[in-house]
Amino acid sequence: MPKLRNFRIKIETGDPGTQGPVKFSINSHTLPLENVKGSPAAGQTLEGGFEVNSFAHSLTLVGPEEGRWNIKKMTVDYENEGAPPYLVAFGEVTLDETTEVNIWRDPPLPVYDV
Amino acid sequence: MRTLISILSANRSKSATSAEINKSGDGARTKSPAAEKSPPVAAPPTDPVPAKPLRRTVVQAPVLSADSGPNAPGADGILIKAQPAANKEQCVFMVNRSLFPGHSWWFPNFESAEGSALAEALFSVDGVESVLVHDSTVTVTRVDKSATDWLPLAQEVGAAIRGVLSSGAPVIAEKVVRGMPSEQSIREDIQRVIDTEVNPGVAGHGGRISLIGVKGNAVTIQMGGGCQGCSAADITLKMGIHNSFRKAVPMVGAIYDETDHAAGLNPYFSRG
Repeated sequence: MPKLRNFRIKIETGDPGTQGPVKFSINSHTLPLENVKGSPAAGQTLEGGFEVNSFAHSLTLVGPEEGRWNIKKMTVDYENEGAPPYLVAFGEVTLDETTEVNIWRDPPLPVYDV
Repeated sequence: MRTLISILSANRSKSATSAEINKSGDGARTKSPAAEKSPPVAAPPTDPVPAKPLRRTVVQAPVLSADSGPNAPGADGILIKAQPAANKEQCVFMVNRSLFPGHSWWFPNFESAEGSALAEALFSVDGVESVLVHDSTVTVTRVDKSATDWLPLAQEVGAAIRGVLSSGAPVIAEKVVRGMPSEQSIREDIQRVIDTEVNPGVAGHGGRISLIGVKGNAVTIQMGGGCQGCSAADITLKMGIHNSFRKAVPMVGAIYDETDHAAGLNPYFSRG
């Protein structure tokens, strides 16, 4: 498991949107995103991130405290220690007060042409 | 930008010095000793507050992979990409053509490869322990588990795959293809093994194994209860479940595990 230096997430909200602050959970610790730009309102785009510097056993985006939040697309940039940065794009998901969505993916494995 | 450790440390010290509000796990709040000394105030009528869930369910969003596939299926030449597994014991070779459409076959040793040109060629490569052919992929397990660099062996395996495909020899022996049982038959046999052998064995650890599906002769299972998130699950799966399945149902090909080891209501790795 690599050590996650930081991640940055871009969230494209569908309908319905939600109100901030947008929170994530790492290893079951829930925190607000930092350096946030934009909004999670319907049709808007929000960007934020966090400097983790720890091992990510789990990393999730937490649903709103009330109501539903439709996310059309998310892209997450990960920067791990000792490895090149990588990006993962996630498709549509709808969150509510009972759910959180997994946004952690291990770094891609190397591939050789043989 | 603050780091995770600094924020968690700050949160800990804040909760240690502030006795004003003690938020319990169910969202109830209690007053501090200082607040209790204040003159009594008529309590406002309390609205029933819906109980918040103690634990959220982790859902999965589909991954929109930009990588649409290792090889172009329509390419004239034989293209092979090798991807070593994270544990370095196995390497998956992805070929831009079908090798065994809709089915899979596991070759545990050279003797089992008789009549199957691809497996015969691969066992001729020094260092190959077992071979799994599934659709357009070949998974090779190597003998030397301590080696970490797959590239030299992968190049030899790639050359062997290319040689067999160029020759036009039958990839899988005719006797294997003819003897393939139905999905229903495999499903029933595997479920019986799970019910009578596997689950009674893992029940002592609070675990259970579920059959998710059978496609062709490939089996997908999921671990639950104490097996989920257990650091020994990989060993449990490989050593125990695979052996039980293959012994009782020899025509089983690939065996996949769809367990999300960080989710669930009672995983070994608790989310707190």
